[in-house]
Amino acid sequence: MAGGKITRRDALVYGGAAAGGLVAGGAAVAGLAAAVDRRKLAPVVEGAPIVAAHVRGELPVDDPDAGAWRRPRRIRVPLVAQQIVQPHLERTGVTELHARALHTGDELAFLLEWEDGEVDDLDGIHRYHDAVAVQLATRRGPVPPLTMGGPGAPVHLLQWRATWQRDIDSGGKTGVDQIYPAVVHDVMPDDVLPPETAQLYWVGREAGNPLSRSLRSTPIEEIVAEGFGTVTHLPNQTARGFGVHEGGRWRVILALPTARAGVGEALAPGTSWPVAFAVWLGSQDNRGGRKHIANWHTLAIEGPR
Amino acid sequence: MAKVRNWQLGREMEYPYEAPRPKRQFTMIMDTNKCIACQSCTIACKSTWTWGKGQEFMLWNNIETKPFGFYPTGWDVNILALLGEQSWDGDVYEGQTIFEAAPPGERVLGWTPAEEDWSHPNLGEDEPTGNAEETTYVPDAPHSLMWMYYLQRICNHCTYPACVAACPREAIYKRPEDGIVLVDQTRCRGYQECLTACPYKKTMFNLETRVSEKCIGCYPKVEQGLQTQCTTACIGRLRLTNFLSPPDEADPRKPADFLVHIRKIALPLYPQLGLEPNVYYIPPVHVPTEYLTQMFGPGVEEAVEMYRNAKDDPELLGLLMLFGATERIMDTWDVRDGIARAYDERGEEIVAVPLREPTFVRSFEFATQVEGKPVTGYRHNT
Repeated sequence: MAGGKITRRDALVYGGAAAGGLVAGGAAVAGLAAAVDRRKLAPVVEGAPIVAAHVRGELPVDDPDAGAWRRPRRIRVPLVAQQIVQPHLERTGVTELHARALHTGDELAFLLEWEDGEVDDLDGIHRYHDAVAVQLATRRGPVPPLTMGGPGAPVHLLQWRATWQRDIDSGGKTGVDQIYPAVVHDVMPDDVLPPETAQLYWVGREAGNPLSRSLRSTPIEEIVAEGFGTVTHLPNQTARGFGVHEGGRWRVILALPTARAGVGEALAPGTSWPVAFAVWLGSQDNRGGRKHIANWHTLAIEGPR
Repeated sequence: MAKVRNWQLGREMEYPYEAPRPKRQFTMIMDTNKCIACQSCTIACKSTWTWGKGQEFMLWNNIETKPFGFYPTGWDVNILALLGEQSWDGDVYEGQTIFEAAPPGERVLGWTPAEEDWSHPNLGEDEPTGNAEETTYVPDAPHSLMWMYYLQRICNHCTYPACVAACPREAIYKRPEDGIVLVDQTRCRGYQECLTACPYKKTMFNLETRVSEKCIGCYPKVEQGLQTQCTTACIGRLRLTNFLSPPDEADPRKPADFLVHIRKIALPLYPQLGLEPNVYYIPPVHVPTEYLTQMFGPGVEEAVEMYRNAKDDPELLGLLMLFGATERIMDTWDVRDGIARAYDERGEEIVAVPLREPTFVRSFEFATQVEGKPVTGYRHNT
């Protein structure tokens, strides 16, 4: 606990109803503060490009209330249920997200916010997570298909999942013991076997599936795809980010180096790019293709002032 | 949608992929009449494959009591209710499969079990039908109004798997060499579409690794010519791990072909769902035909009749005697001079089992002395 303030991390790591209550209370206060702050913000605009404002120094990647985020305009991005490929999302649970962007020349960040009354940050049986994704073209020229690209027309994706944020906030305490706090374990492989042998019983992890890790350094996954169902985890993960649930909404920052080495053309100042978004509401059984999608928007990267 | 041939339905059906048949098809035959629900199979599987953290509720193999037992709860009655009443015309299925009945926006008609549905693997255990006041548990002739039986359940390693059809990432595949269906542990992203689509509910979600897992048909054993853990641990000797040919290539010397295609004594589980499941059941002889028909399709009465007469059928009896007699997978078998023999692919004998165990009949009386007096009677080994 830092400075007497109980953080979400404290609650997740140390547990306890009291800490949880304090955090909830703290979140409400923070939510109020954010609401006050938001009144100072310019109104949300629809139909305009998302202009990534240039800032000097470090991007405020872990603070959606930082002063720098007041500069860019908030753009309203309409969301619809994905019904292009099976399986469809039957019911729309959120109709819009608000997007802002900043960049330093070396790094570009989005701040995305959307309404979601419930926090879904554990993956269980019939229990899905909240998430958001940014879709960018990898190169200039013809706009790739909205459907996560197409054969020969790849897209570059950044996905944030609430579960991965909790992985980080809790130091990897996001498994059975957290899903079922009253669970009683029998003897487990890691109780009786050497670690290298016990590890074999977490097959996904042992096979190297990046989704099977609970210890991670970033809540963002960097992906390329050439159409629905072709998501490929990039070997070199360079994105970072942060998400927090405040006042009934998720506020998520996704940042990536503008060089995009090994992925595509650099996101250079003065250029414009097609950008699209997707939102998942875990409490409404959203996962995979059962998601909310946005049409292509324009990301305009401001030149240095 | 592709058109594929499903011989269990006696017709072609729609499936999302062309789905060519594997070189050979892993199969398991279950003799339901011999099961006592000791769960040795369940424990053999659990202690081999799924005792890791995150797999607590996973039973790739389970034994449930029918009609009131389920794992997960209501797995079969829920999909049957969704599909609605359907009909057979003789051996041809006239109804819709779960692929053909898929609602708009879905590849498969399915339902998603809740967390608690996975929490009661022994629900309904040993519960018979009927009320004790109205009838008796002691069988009348031909059978009591009260009945129950045990259903042995593993993944069916279907010819047309619903899990494969539903996975948006093609992370589940059917091995061309033996037809075993596996989840690619590096490719799965945990969407759990397979948990909704599989009507048998035999894909499961690992809570620690966040990806789906399922029965792997003990492929490391099968690759070495060995039967699965659940088969070799079965004390009732009611299981047979084998390979099954399509009906037009059936070879009467091959055990599974003989039981499924030649004698038709072993029947598929809910064939009407359209997956062409590859686990086959010798139906219980004491259960009403109506119930068995909805579960195993046409041919139930003939299968029961054949099983009742197995004692006079040395060929069939011999093969049933070879169940559980060897850890190795039989390629062929024969019965000669009262001995059933199993052979490997080179034609070499694996095991031999007499149809009748040799017995020695001891004379009734024997004599000994107790405290100096002669005593006659049975000798007890206690």
